[in-house]
Amino acid sequence: MRALAIAGVNVRRMLRDRSNVFFVFVFPMLLILVLGVSFGRGFEPRIGVVAADPGALGRDLVRTLEEMPDVDVARYDSVDDLRTSVERGQLEAGVVVPEGYDGAIRAGRDAEVRYLARQGELGLQLSRTVRSAVAEQGQRLRAARLFVAERAGSLDEGLARADVAAEALEPVEVVTTTVGEAIFPTSLGRFDLGASSTLLLFIFLTSMTSAVALIETRRLGLSRRMLSTPTSAGTIVAGEALGRLGIAMVQGLFIMLGSLILFGVDWGEPLGSAALLVSFALVGAGAGMFLGSLLRTEQQAIGLGILLGLGLGALGGCMVPMEFFSPTMRTVAHFTPHAWALDGYAELVRRDGTIVDVLPYVGILLAYAAVLLGLASWRLRRAITG
Amino acid sequence: MRAALLIAAKDLRQRLRDRSAIMVAVVVPLGLAFVFNATLGGISTEGVAFRYGVVDEDRSEISAVFVDEVLPAVEEGGAIRVRSVPSDAEGRRSVEAGDLDALLVVPAGFGAAVEGSGAAEIRVVGDVDEPTAAQVARSIASTFVADLNAVRVAVATVADPHATDPAELDALVERAAAVATPVDVVDVTATTKELDVTTYYAAGMAVFFLFFTVQFGVASLLDERKDGTLSRLLAAPIGRSAILGGKLLTSFVIGTLSMATLIVATSLLLGADWGDGIGVALLVLSGVLAATGIMSIVATLAKTSEQAGNWQSIIAVVLGMLGGVFFPISQAPGFLPTLSLVTPQAWFLRGLSDMAGDTGWTVVLPAVLAMLVFAAVTGAIAAVRLDRMARL
Repeated sequence: MRALAIAGVNVRRMLRDRSNVFFVFVFPMLLILVLGVSFGRGFEPRIGVVAADPGALGRDLVRTLEEMPDVDVARYDSVDDLRTSVERGQLEAGVVVPEGYDGAIRAGRDAEVRYLARQGELGLQLSRTVRSAVAEQGQRLRAARLFVAERAGSLDEGLARADVAAEALEPVEVVTTTVGEAIFPTSLGRFDLGASSTLLLFIFLTSMTSAVALIETRRLGLSRRMLSTPTSAGTIVAGEALGRLGIAMVQGLFIMLGSLILFGVDWGEPLGSAALLVSFALVGAGAGMFLGSLLRTEQQAIGLGILLGLGLGALGGCMVPMEFFSPTMRTVAHFTPHAWALDGYAELVRRDGTIVDVLPYVGILLAYAAVLLGLASWRLRRAITG
Repeated sequence: MRAALLIAAKDLRQRLRDRSAIMVAVVVPLGLAFVFNATLGGISTEGVAFRYGVVDEDRSEISAVFVDEVLPAVEEGGAIRVRSVPSDAEGRRSVEAGDLDALLVVPAGFGAAVEGSGAAEIRVVGDVDEPTAAQVARSIASTFVADLNAVRVAVATVADPHATDPAELDALVERAAAVATPVDVVDVTATTKELDVTTYYAAGMAVFFLFFTVQFGVASLLDERKDGTLSRLLAAPIGRSAILGGKLLTSFVIGTLSMATLIVATSLLLGADWGDGIGVALLVLSGVLAATGIMSIVATLAKTSEQAGNWQSIIAVVLGMLGGVFFPISQAPGFLPTLSLVTPQAWFLRGLSDMAGDTGWTVVLPAVLAMLVFAAVTGAIAAVRLDRMARL
């Protein structure tokens, strides 16, 4: 009972500080929003196109480019803007259809489409895409040119006849199929990936910085005063642990429900999701209390708390998805509880798993929590009784 | 002037003795840059060569052109690596296992169908998680197929293949093949104005924590007020401007020192490449000024140094996220890259990125100017408010 009272004080103390409210509740939601808006659609190479005075043939070429699968084509008005965007990495490549493109070809001259990319593999790879769009148009133009040469007709007449002839021919085609199971299925909402990593990042960060409050409690002599009342050291330690768990749960539930309501984030099966949240909140509580029992000053706790909170989060795949890590770093990542919890959420959200599927992950998280809480209780008991 | 220098020197000595300042100014940003570099340093922003497998089930003259001429020519240009695979099934397994990024299959009967005007196809088998690799493989095959189609379509455009004398048809095919395509693609390489991953995170973390570091100077005015030392300073024969100047100078010196330390440390320990020294110096100085200006305003709005610290953290974190210190927001689609330019952090990173193309230090001037405008506007507001704050 007393332990619960101590826990309650901890939660109230945290909620009363207005800047805490910002970091615990407002900022995570802001981050989910920004991540979803900026990166939620997944990566599709972006090709910018400038086509001033393109004429019918130029428009046709741009349309062919736009219809290419798996690339995102954006129109630009000036070559300078296009170049700057390519250089700054806002576009993966740029295409310039020269002015008077249509007229030059109709006059029997050759035309050159300029392809612009940064040095590197991706630029070379995307040039193939642009070349194939140009080759597709080249195919029609060659037929039309032969027609002009053989039958002395106009180029337009030739193009029209080429289209009719192409229609009648049995086509030679390229057919694409894919194999394997998508790591990020297309059903994944744009906020889903960012939401689970933000949840874990912030629960852990808040827990780590909550070490400050624990140190303050000791420094102000509150723990000693509590000990002088008929309250055992065990009760105080339990109260501090429960308080941290309470903070993590309040924050976790707020982020989960808030993102569900505001952004329609899919958290998967509720039971599995809740199990992961509780077990990760326990890990956070243990880690925060352990840090608070190890350090002596609040300044140390703030610095180290931020470093560990953000650092372990980044290492565990909360900032950039682990799927982009090298195999070695993926192994290293699994020393952090974050990586296991993220794997658990991936199982729930991306593969429609249930509580049964995430039990192994919950088990690992509980093991982390047991070790951390055990160490923290032992250290804290010594710190307040000693 | 002497008084201002003395106050700044006193504050600096105090800060250097205080381990928490060093923690925030150097240890934490360096630690985070190290973690980011370790986790993400291997990711190249320019991509890696795609690994393709090719299966020639056809073994005709036409398939040989594709396998022995077209693909090696593309491979020569870089960006792809091609190896021959004995069978379709084995190739698919390799794609599924991630050993190949895509598989190109020329099925049996392809060449015969093309020559006999029948339907034919080249199959591309892609990995579902590598859409770009599949797209590029498809493009390479499509370009080849367009070439094949071109002759067929051209001949059909001018003559009916079934109603033409075979000898004449052969001559026509020859002439059709000789018609060159009037459109071609020329490659123009753009310079890279992007930071590599290591430098990006080193710079991002440095400028992010700069906004925490500069607060040590101005916020100490609040401490002096609380401790009563401010009244004593004011009672002394020193001008108010000297006291304020001393505080601002402290912020500026701490900020510059921490940035310099981080630049040297990340260059030596992580191999970050910050670029031309003059450009970096200009960016750092104007960045420190802008940070000092913004954080000074926030400090004047608070009643206690604790409150100031809290508000400053909120401002620093929001501006940092929007400015792209955690993820490259300047490359995100939509309106966010433009919005991020309301932060000095975004300008700082833009200035550094622009220098990455080895174009000399002058390219940083727009970014430097933007940050100086931030510094001038926020500095003016802060000066007025600070002056009021220092009247008792």
